[in-house]
Amino acid sequence: MDYSMEDTQNSAPDAQQASKLNPSGQKSDTQSVTKRLQAELMQLMLSPSPGISAFPDADGNLLSWTATITGPTETPYEGLTLKLSFAFPNNYPYSPPTVLFKTPIYHPNVDFSGRICLDILKDKWSAVYNVSSVLLSLQSLLGEPNNPLNAQAAELWDSDQAEFKRHVLARHQDLDDE
Amino acid sequence: MLSTVPLNVGRRRVCGSVFSPASLEGHPPKLISDFQREQTLVASFQESTDCSSTFKADSQTTSFATIGGSTDAASPEEDALNQAWQAAKEFLSVPNLGFELLYNFRNTDGSQVLKEWNRLSPPSKETAEALEYLMRTSPWTLFEWYGNDIRRHFLVNFRTGLSKLLKSPGEEGLLRTIVDCLQLARRIYLAPVVHYLLPLIATPHQGGFLAQLQRAFHTVVQYSLPWKKISPLLARELTKDAVVILGIDTLDEDSDADRMSLDGTEMERAYSVSYKDWKQQSPEAQAHMMVEGEDCRVTIARDRLLAFLNGLQLVGFGGDQAQKVFANVMNIMMGDFIRAAYAGEWESPSTAPQHLEQWVENVYAQLAVRVLAIIHSDPAGTQSGAMEVNFRDVEKWQAMGIARLGKLRVSELFDVIVDWPASSGAVEDLRRFTNNSSGARLYVTHFFSINLLQRLLHPGASTVEILQVYISIIRAFHILDPKGVLLDRIARPIRRYLRDREDTVKVIVSGLLADPATADGPAATADTLAELAAELTKVQHHSMQNNRSELDYDDLYWVPDPVDAAPDYKKSKSADVIDSLVSLFDSKETFVKEMQTLLADRLIQKRQNYDQEITVLELLKVRFGDSALQACEVMLKDISDSRRFELTVRNDQILSGYRKQAGVGKLHAKILSRFFWPEFQEQEFKVPDEIAKLQRRYATCFEKRKDSRKLMWRNALGQVTVELELKNHTFKDEVTTWQATVIYAFQSDSSEPATKTIPELADELEMTAPLVRSACLFWVSKRILTEVQRDTFRVLETLPAEDEERHAHAAGDFSDASDSDAGDTANAAAAAEAAAAAAAKESAEAAAMEKMNVYWQFIVGMLTNQGPMALSRIVMMLKIAVPGGFPFSNEELREFLGGMVSKGKLEIVNGGNYKIVH
Repeated sequence: MDYSMEDTQNSAPDAQQASKLNPSGQKSDTQSVTKRLQAELMQLMLSPSPGISAFPDADGNLLSWTATITGPTETPYEGLTLKLSFAFPNNYPYSPPTVLFKTPIYHPNVDFSGRICLDILKDKWSAVYNVSSVLLSLQSLLGEPNNPLNAQAAELWDSDQAEFKRHVLARHQDLDDE
Repeated sequence: MLSTVPLNVGRRRVCGSVFSPASLEGHPPKLISDFQREQTLVASFQESTDCSSTFKADSQTTSFATIGGSTDAASPEEDALNQAWQAAKEFLSVPNLGFELLYNFRNTDGSQVLKEWNRLSPPSKETAEALEYLMRTSPWTLFEWYGNDIRRHFLVNFRTGLSKLLKSPGEEGLLRTIVDCLQLARRIYLAPVVHYLLPLIATPHQGGFLAQLQRAFHTVVQYSLPWKKISPLLARELTKDAVVILGIDTLDEDSDADRMSLDGTEMERAYSVSYKDWKQQSPEAQAHMMVEGEDCRVTIARDRLLAFLNGLQLVGFGGDQAQKVFANVMNIMMGDFIRAAYAGEWESPSTAPQHLEQWVENVYAQLAVRVLAIIHSDPAGTQSGAMEVNFRDVEKWQAMGIARLGKLRVSELFDVIVDWPASSGAVEDLRRFTNNSSGARLYVTHFFSINLLQRLLHPGASTVEILQVYISIIRAFHILDPKGVLLDRIARPIRRYLRDREDTVKVIVSGLLADPATADGPAATADTLAELAAELTKVQHHSMQNNRSELDYDDLYWVPDPVDAAPDYKKSKSADVIDSLVSLFDSKETFVKEMQTLLADRLIQKRQNYDQEITVLELLKVRFGDSALQACEVMLKDISDSRRFELTVRNDQILSGYRKQAGVGKLHAKILSRFFWPEFQEQEFKVPDEIAKLQRRYATCFEKRKDSRKLMWRNALGQVTVELELKNHTFKDEVTTWQATVIYAFQSDSSEPATKTIPELADELEMTAPLVRSACLFWVSKRILTEVQRDTFRVLETLPAEDEERHAHAAGDFSDASDSDAGDTANAAAAAEAAAAAAAKESAEAAAMEKMNVYWQFIVGMLTNQGPMALSRIVMMLKIAVPGGFPFSNEELREFLGGMVSKGKLEIVNGGNYKIVH
């Protein structure tokens, strides 16, 4: 009997502490992320930049967003609407969000499943970037591809712009009207 | 033996520490010392001797019975016995004269009726001999027979009459009548026995015989008159007299009518149980007040009651049952007295508990002792059966009284709090009550919470009232329970409720900014909590450092939280009202924001100095730290800076050869740092050219001085001193800028009074029509303009002369004229007010639209990215995504979105979903 008493006395606080610390730590994290994202959203809404837009998904925790880029003029993407998904990690903005093209896109820097090769989304990420700066970078990336993930597209970009544009239009389909 | 005793003591001590001592008393230890055993032996021996004596008496009677039974033949001895019996029966038997006679004579001394019933005439010689013989040979049989005869006679003669009497409803003193009758009956039965029978036997045995007869009488009385019906009557009788004896009736009297008015002079009454009188006496006088100089009414009442109870006891209604009724009555009396004596007596210092204790000891206990001495359970009438009232009982009653007093105070607590601090005595009483028992604390909080919910926390109470009461609660409960546990419990619902009220912050902040000098004034209490300002100025030396007392490991006076504290109870060492109020809100931000708004309103007013605001701000900084109130500080600095800057501007202008132009006044500006000031809702309009020129000049001067800073004029904020000269009257007052602008537009050089319509003015001044109308109506109320026809105003150059005006109004009715004239002005003023309200509403609506535009951005973003959505989903998303929530209802949003659809920015696609149009 004495032993069991001792056992519970020894183990209980540990267990309690473990259960106490983890969620609370996580919670405060989520809170600061939420706060930051809310501020970013407010900024986007109050001073919208032309051609880009983003909004949280309906799941309510603000950690996943959908963004829209309108293709810049004088590029093969002119007039196209491109949708992206943002998934923010719990330690945002200290790690970059995971950004994917949801609209099928033909582009040297984007592979066929929508993954993007952009340095600021990988090793060059910094906490001063935000949703709007990422979107602006992506918008300019549409006109100036640099890091070929899709070698064929890169080649075509350099050799035959008209053919490239045909590929772009062939691959593009609007996701809007689901 | 020697070794076992200390062991036993030791064990008992252990037991005592584990179990409560009370349980030990209940079961005394089995160990009996030799001495005790000896004592019990003696006692049991005595008992057995008693038994043997009674046994002897019994055997005597039985032996007689056997003698009588065994001899059938009539012996001479038997003959004599029969004759003796016959004579005795004749002498003793009661004539069946019925109840009427008894009832009619109930109030006489009884001799008459005894004669009537033939109870006093001495026995004839033969009878006397017969009785003597019987008493000598078989007294028990005789008494047994007589007892039965009493029963029979009572049932036959009196029972129906008494029952009928008992059934007659609601008669005053019914029980007294019954008792009187019964007493008479008792005398009828017992008189011959007492007079002629008992002297025949030896004195020691007399008591026993009499008791036997009495028992017989009591039995039949109790049988005939059921106790169930007697007890309410008895309670009534007891209450009637007890009210007088305990002094409760005089207390009621006091509260009803002023004693002064009874006969013009104040009745000097040495004897009084009134708490009010008692308090005014010196301590020595207090001690005597309830003991000496008893009122004659009280004496009479007591004598009456005691006599009545004597009778009651004699006829067999005493004993346990009567004691129970008496206890009930006394219980009620205690409550009545406390209510009558102490309700509403809240002055501090409170001596109510002392007064109560004295009353219990001198008045209450005294009555109890006397009554219980009479109604005792032992019918034999010996003193051993009487209930003894010892000092411990009195103490118990006193404790009970204190508890009752506490209960009374709890029920009054809400009113006590409202009257605070004039009612601090009541809280002192309550403190005594709550210190006595732990259940009391729970009772106080529970009861008071319910009370608060019913009386305070409802929409009918204004926020100021609630806050006022809350402040009083904080102060009162700090005295009641310095630990703050009770306050913690009480305050929770109030705080929760206050948090839900929208204007709570506003009331608190305006209270803080109020002028403490007016705090005591009568006008201040109505709509501001000026008290808060006074509270703020009190020295607060403890403000910052006590917050972390729980973590202070060097605190040698640390004590754990009280046992009944809530889990998240936080100790507050002081009754700091302001801290409690400010901590209502989760963050200081809400508070500071409201502070900014109010401060802004006050600062843009034209005043000589802003010392009051500066003081308040400094005091708040002590509490909240500098950083929290930085914006407010900047605001104050702006004001003082702009005053200084104005001087430089004036100097510059003088240097640059600016001369004051005729007809244009001075321009004073307050330069606000836009970033630190709250948003102002205002209506834009065009100021007169002259003013605009001044503004430009001022602005260039400013921009010269302060590089890369621009002035933006806020025309709608500010005051103008207007001087108007009309033909036969003048006007000079402070008005708002837009009112001044409107009247300026009426200025003309021509001799004809200027006439303008609202649309004209609105165009000219770029002002909204409602605002123009409001301004015009304002001037109508000042009798500068008149409304010639709807929306057309003309300057009223000449005030119509008094009699002219009377003419203009009703032709004959003079008395009416001035009234209607006054009515006109009042109407115009009211109309101006209404118009101003309408203008304010318009600007508020514009602000709402402005806000809606922000939400429009959100909606666009949402619909662009998430595709078409239904209305309910849009509302839900807005509630999540917009910081601070979405204040509009579904209907309002539907209307707004409908507007956007009609503008072609949205379209409605399948299923009522809204879709953005590219």
